Amino acid sequence: MKVQLEKTYAMPAPAQLAWALLQDIEGVAGCMPGAKITERVDDTHYKGTVAVKLGPANLSFRGEIEVRALDAGTHSLRLFAKGTDSTGGSAASMDLTARVEPVDAASCNLTGTSEVSMSGKAATFGGRVMGPVADQILNQFAANFSARVQAMQAQSAAAASGASASAAQGLPAAPEAKPLNGLALMWAVIKGWLRSLFGIKGA
Amino acid sequence: MGDLSDLKEREDKLQGMGTSLLRKEDAKFIRGQGTYIDDIKLPGMLFGAIVRSPYAHARIKGIDKSKALASPGVVAVLTADDLKPVNLHWMPTVGADVQAVLADKKVHFQLQEVAMVLATDRYAAYDGAALVEVDYEELPAIVDPKKSMDKDAVIIREDIADKKEVGHGPRTHPNHIFTWEAGNKDAADAAFKSAEVTVREEILNPRVHPCPLETCGCVASFNKATGYLTLHVTTQIPHLLRTVLAMLSGVAESKIRVIGGDIGGGFGNKVPIYPGYVVATVASIVTGVPIKWIESRIDNISTTGFARDYHCTGELAADKNGRIKGLRFTALADHGAFNSHVSASKLPAGLFSICTGSYAIPNAYARVDAVYTNKAPGGVAYRCSLRVTEAIYLIERMMDVLAQKIGVDKAEVRRRNFVQAEQFPYTTSLGWTLDSGAYHTALDKVLKAVDYEGLRREQAAKRADPNSPTLMGIGISTFTEIVGAGPTKVCDILGIGLFDSCEIRVHPTGGVIARLGTMTQGQGHATTYAQIIATELGLPASDIVVEEGDTDKAPYGAGTWGSRSTPVSGAATAVAARKIKDKAKKIAAHLLEVGEGDLEWEIDRFKVKGNPSQAKTMKEICMVSHTGNIPAGMEQGLNAVAYYDPPNLTFPFGAYLCVLDVDKFTGGISVRRFYALDDCGTRINPMVIEGQIHGGLTEAFAVAMGQQIPFDDNGNHLGNSLVDYFLPTAMETPTWETDHTVTPCPHHPLGAKGVAESPHVGGIPCFSNAVIDAFAHLGVTHMDMPHNAFRVWQKLNELGVNKRSARRG
Repeated sequence: MKVQLEKTYAMPAPAQLAWALLQDIEGVAGCMPGAKITERVDDTHYKGTVAVKLGPANLSFRGEIEVRALDAGTHSLRLFAKGTDSTGGSAASMDLTARVEPVDAASCNLTGTSEVSMSGKAATFGGRVMGPVADQILNQFAANFSARVQAMQAQSAAAASGASASAAQGLPAAPEAKPLNGLALMWAVIKGWLRSLFGIKGA
Repeated sequence: MGDLSDLKEREDKLQGMGTSLLRKEDAKFIRGQGTYIDDIKLPGMLFGAIVRSPYAHARIKGIDKSKALASPGVVAVLTADDLKPVNLHWMPTVGADVQAVLADKKVHFQLQEVAMVLATDRYAAYDGAALVEVDYEELPAIVDPKKSMDKDAVIIREDIADKKEVGHGPRTHPNHIFTWEAGNKDAADAAFKSAEVTVREEILNPRVHPCPLETCGCVASFNKATGYLTLHVTTQIPHLLRTVLAMLSGVAESKIRVIGGDIGGGFGNKVPIYPGYVVATVASIVTGVPIKWIESRIDNISTTGFARDYHCTGELAADKNGRIKGLRFTALADHGAFNSHVSASKLPAGLFSICTGSYAIPNAYARVDAVYTNKAPGGVAYRCSLRVTEAIYLIERMMDVLAQKIGVDKAEVRRRNFVQAEQFPYTTSLGWTLDSGAYHTALDKVLKAVDYEGLRREQAAKRADPNSPTLMGIGISTFTEIVGAGPTKVCDILGIGLFDSCEIRVHPTGGVIARLGTMTQGQGHATTYAQIIATELGLPASDIVVEEGDTDKAPYGAGTWGSRSTPVSGAATAVAARKIKDKAKKIAAHLLEVGEGDLEWEIDRFKVKGNPSQAKTMKEICMVSHTGNIPAGMEQGLNAVAYYDPPNLTFPFGAYLCVLDVDKFTGGISVRRFYALDDCGTRINPMVIEGQIHGGLTEAFAVAMGQQIPFDDNGNHLGNSLVDYFLPTAMETPTWETDHTVTPCPHHPLGAKGVAESPHVGGIPCFSNAVIDAFAHLGVTHMDMPHNAFRVWQKLNELGVNKRSARRG
């Protein structure tokens, strides 16, 4: 079971900031609903977990992430992640390329291209809902990413203006890495499906 | 004595052959008092749960048991490395291949057995199984058998990559298993060259699963003190299983007892010997405690005993009137990752060569190429004899394709090609001798019963009416089955001939116990065999007990599959009963002080010819046979055992007709009528036969209309639970109309043929033919199964039939 995804999200922040966040693997993982980096092996190897509910299957993947390319020239990142769920009944891998493209001084686009491959129970039971679920996960990821980039922007603006003495706050905390809220996710999926059914273009 | 009402009363009391005696076994089943495999609980028993691979093809780089072993209740974790010292990590298959018992360095199909966790109860075992960490390196999987023999195809079976053959002739590719041929290719090719008409169609029998209500399982119990191994197991072949266990385990066969018990449906799924049985047995031998292993539904559908997966090409050559001159049928057979397909040793493609069907076809050639793929092994015949459904589906579909091509009615083209009644016994161009048949009679009876002409007129009117919301289809199938394997000269498994047996013991007061080498899974053996003995011996069926499945009690036999019980063991029963009757006659002659030639048999007694008041009932003889008042030199008792090696298989046949309506807009199909005429020769219990036909038709409906095991490109199952896999309930199942003719089998002692599989074999093409007939006027010659609403709708949509433009407004 393979699914190809290509998505572009508008980010209300300069490309430099988005690129800065994109290079921070722990930070990026923090934007992914249900995901967490548990160990930094070296600069390009990490270990982590992802919890996701796919149809009737509750999956908790443990796996490894390898940063395969980080190109400052094109502002792009390529990483490969693979893992098995804790019951051994499912496995998944993802080959992702993410790129930041400037639009103007204050905004940019974040583009992600990925191929996700599922094996075992996840494919058997989750296959038919995988496309829409992946869509929703990415939408939430983009929303979190956007929120963080905006927070970084506000912070650097504050630091630049020198108005705040508490500039050493560092990056804002990553949103809590909790598994996707099943009900909310289901509603989002159904909404997406209804929209596609009636040909309503995405809001 | 001897008046008609008295005779009838005595006959009725026996409830012998020909009466619809209610099934003797049902009393316990309807009370919920059957003993199925999971009902067996032995003291100290451990439960085994299997760790399975999420990948269809991967290398195993390591297995970490430590977390599982630390889990509460877990006693042991067994992997291939643990079975290696006893050389049981691999086992031989009936297909002359080997199969991994637990994956050895590599997994070859999704959900393959990798390890077994033994724990104090089933929950602890499953919790433990979830904690076994297996490190896999995924490999590309081959799912489409058409790509198995590509030049650059990944080698599935590295363990036998350099083997020149796997039991059945030379291999041409590491993923090739065998090529099997029958008939005369040159003669068939010549017939095609000179033919006025030829037709060709690619026809798929998709991978399906018998999906019996009870999944597979076993309780293995080895007693270290006595050295005895007892295996309670869901098996259709208890004796063959005992022999294989002896070969595998090294335990003397006399110290192995296999008990079949009550079985909740088999349909072929319980013929093979599965890794679960072997691991549980080894675990019990090692630990000395009983081990239970029970499949889940998903395990059952995914890993044990699939059926079909034959990718066929059918070709017929005929004259312009539709008289067939030549046949070429080929199949690419997907056998999965190990060739453990169940078949007789000399018949790697089973009985596929029955593919000339009910027709006199002078030149024929058949060929099957079997290949490995990354799918589950263990192909079985699902409610049919070996590969018969595939063969008959192909010929019955091709008859329709030919009829459409030459514009002759589909019933008429069959009539023109039938083997004529006076031609029997008829030897086909592929070598089978059809023992008996009356094909024209059967078809004509069905056509008359349903007013075939009227149905065709109605269909023509519907086709002419653009406002008709439905397409009407009429399907015909006039099949010949081949059942009752079989003659030891052609049929053996692991060298053991497929004879069967019956042992009868008659007690002093007239009670009888009969033990057989077959194994009922719901077929009603306890009733049918008792009725044979009742008629043969003149003792009431109610007092005749039938016992099967316990190898310590029953004589050796090859079990129940391929509709072989009545053809083979039914014959053995008659032969054993006749031995007893011969002895009883000697005793009667002795008691009546006449010669044996002066006696005649009447229902339940021997009487002196011309002096009917002089008679000895069987019941009297039963008692006397246990006294000293028997002929000099005769031994006491009325017991006999018979081993029956059938001279030929049996060839039941039938004519089926299906009328259905296809909704033009939803693709939904409603079966209006299904008329099934079966001829299984002498009918032992008409009610049991009717029940078997209903069951077989229902499974035919299931296969034709909905069953399929789909995979994605990586070899992931996409339909291995009952969420997806279609099992028809009373809601979906059509109403069946049944009928029969009786053409006795000339070589069977009772004239009987097998029956339970005919409705499956004949039913599937009948449904398909009806669906495709609904589209015939639109130029459609074939649509692959399953004919579910979505797939049918796709065809409607492709043809534009579902557009409302034909309507006004």
